[in-house]
Amino acid sequence: MSTATSKPIKGSHWSRILTIATHAFTQLVRMKVFYFLAIFAVIAIASNFFDLPQHEGPEAVGANVLRSIKSWSLGAMTLFSVVLAIVATALLLPKDVEDRTLYTILAKPVPRFDYLAGKLLGVLLLIFVSLALMDILMVGVLQIRTSMVIEQQQAMAKGMGWTQEAINSLRVETEANGANASLQGAVLAVFLRASIMASLALLISTFSTSTLFTTIVSFLIYFIGHFQADAREVYLHSEQAGEGVFARIGALLFSLVLPDFQLFNVIDAVIEGQVMPLMELGKLVVVAGYYAVFFTVASWFIFSDKEF
Amino acid sequence: MVEIPPAVEIKNLVKDFKTSFRREPLRAVNGVSLRIMPGEVYGLIGPNGSGKSTTMKALLGLVAPTSGHCAIFGRDSLKVDSRNDVGFLPENPYFYKHLSGGETLRFYGKLCGLGGRMLNDRVNELLALVDLSSARDRRVGGYSKGMLQRIGLAQALIQEPRLVILDEPTAGVDPVGSRQIRDLIMTLRERGITVFLCSHLLEQVQEVCDHIGIIFQGKMIREGRLEDLIAIEDQTEIVLRDASPELISKITALVEATPGAAVVRSGKPRTTLERLFLREISEEQR
Repeated sequence: MSTATSKPIKGSHWSRILTIATHAFTQLVRMKVFYFLAIFAVIAIASNFFDLPQHEGPEAVGANVLRSIKSWSLGAMTLFSVVLAIVATALLLPKDVEDRTLYTILAKPVPRFDYLAGKLLGVLLLIFVSLALMDILMVGVLQIRTSMVIEQQQAMAKGMGWTQEAINSLRVETEANGANASLQGAVLAVFLRASIMASLALLISTFSTSTLFTTIVSFLIYFIGHFQADAREVYLHSEQAGEGVFARIGALLFSLVLPDFQLFNVIDAVIEGQVMPLMELGKLVVVAGYYAVFFTVASWFIFSDKEF
Repeated sequence: MVEIPPAVEIKNLVKDFKTSFRREPLRAVNGVSLRIMPGEVYGLIGPNGSGKSTTMKALLGLVAPTSGHCAIFGRDSLKVDSRNDVGFLPENPYFYKHLSGGETLRFYGKLCGLGGRMLNDRVNELLALVDLSSARDRRVGGYSKGMLQRIGLAQALIQEPRLVILDEPTAGVDPVGSRQIRDLIMTLRERGITVFLCSHLLEQVQEVCDHIGIIFQGKMIREGRLEDLIAIEDQTEIVLRDASPELISKITALVEATPGAAVVRSGKPRTTLERLFLREISEEQR
């Protein structure tokens, strides 16, 4: 009779996931991905000069430049975070297979889920740190520019004989266009959107045969995600689909599998100086959490049966 | 009495790989069975494409058997816990180029649940064992082929496994590096670690293994103790030192006078080209 009994694996799931995550983070950092921060710095500073000439009055002075800084910065953050999410995730798995480092990892007592979750967490960590650094830079530029704009507005308003109450009101209005909690909410939304894309790229890379395929398909889904809600609505209101139950179920399944990125349009509203309601941010957290978990679990299902 | 489970047990392993659409699957391994007991050094030999690596991958759970069963110390190979006691060095391994030798071992150690001082001590011990202490802070990307194989062997040993699986451990390594790896395998054997290696370098297998299996076109065609398999049953070898020509003549005459016995060959035993090479290199270094 064999004496074999199930022996517990040393170390917790968390410790293995964190080991793989910190390693993936180090790997990407040593690939010099942070160089793009220099490009971001140029964008953030250059956006200061997109100030259209104003003639209307103190309330319009500098409003455009603040909007421009936010718009360019959040746009660059979106671009960098989505590109990083897709390309870094698409690169990590095939590279490990190609270099056979995956064999040495999976030949250790490492469950395949831990490996996948670790890689994803590493990419998310990199995106988080990158966004945090970009955020610090953006807030710094915005703070300096906001105080300059306020000074300029107040001088102009006083010259035009505005009341102190009107000047204070203008100050509050201008500050709303500066660095505030809603802007941080928008940065978080950028991170959440990148998280969805990273987990989607992870899923595609588990069955894809090349990094190029994963990258192209991921970007395609990213673009589809921006108009899938419209397409769904058009379909459901078209004559072919009508009010049919199957059409509704189909449309629901479609939205459960393909993320709807129109939900992230709240970022544009923040650029325009609107307040992001906490409820809206909570909704984005739930939606991103759902897609990230769904795509990661689906990746695990495919990866657990994969042969190397 | 409690029976000790074999370190490796493969029963009727069959592995088919899907090929292109509508074509017959390719049978890489066809009914292979083998059993390696703890402490043995087992060499699986066969030409390229004979199914050696696939057998090893099935044993490590990297591929799922089409049929049959693989177990490590009695635990199903497809279960993660079977990998607690195994270390693996794949053929031509490339480790993360951005890590140093020390960092590489720490990474694998952490994956096995090691940490703190225990991990540090283990890393130092293994770097010394594979003679890479002086290269611990150098990036693995700058390592030579022999150094890569040695750091690979060190990572395979990080959690003190009872079984080490080596896929072509000396492939592409120069004779000096190859000798170092073989010496390490000898050290493992002395420490009671079971070694399962596959190679097509027969001389090296003969030097380190006590059991061998010959695999060809996915089938195990011969298996057993090396000594039993290579012995020529009807011949006996006597090696003499400082024997005079007179003594040789006397022995030859004695043999020829014995009915049924014959001298098949006599002459000076030859060293191998590899031993000559290693001796010359070491003399040159002195």
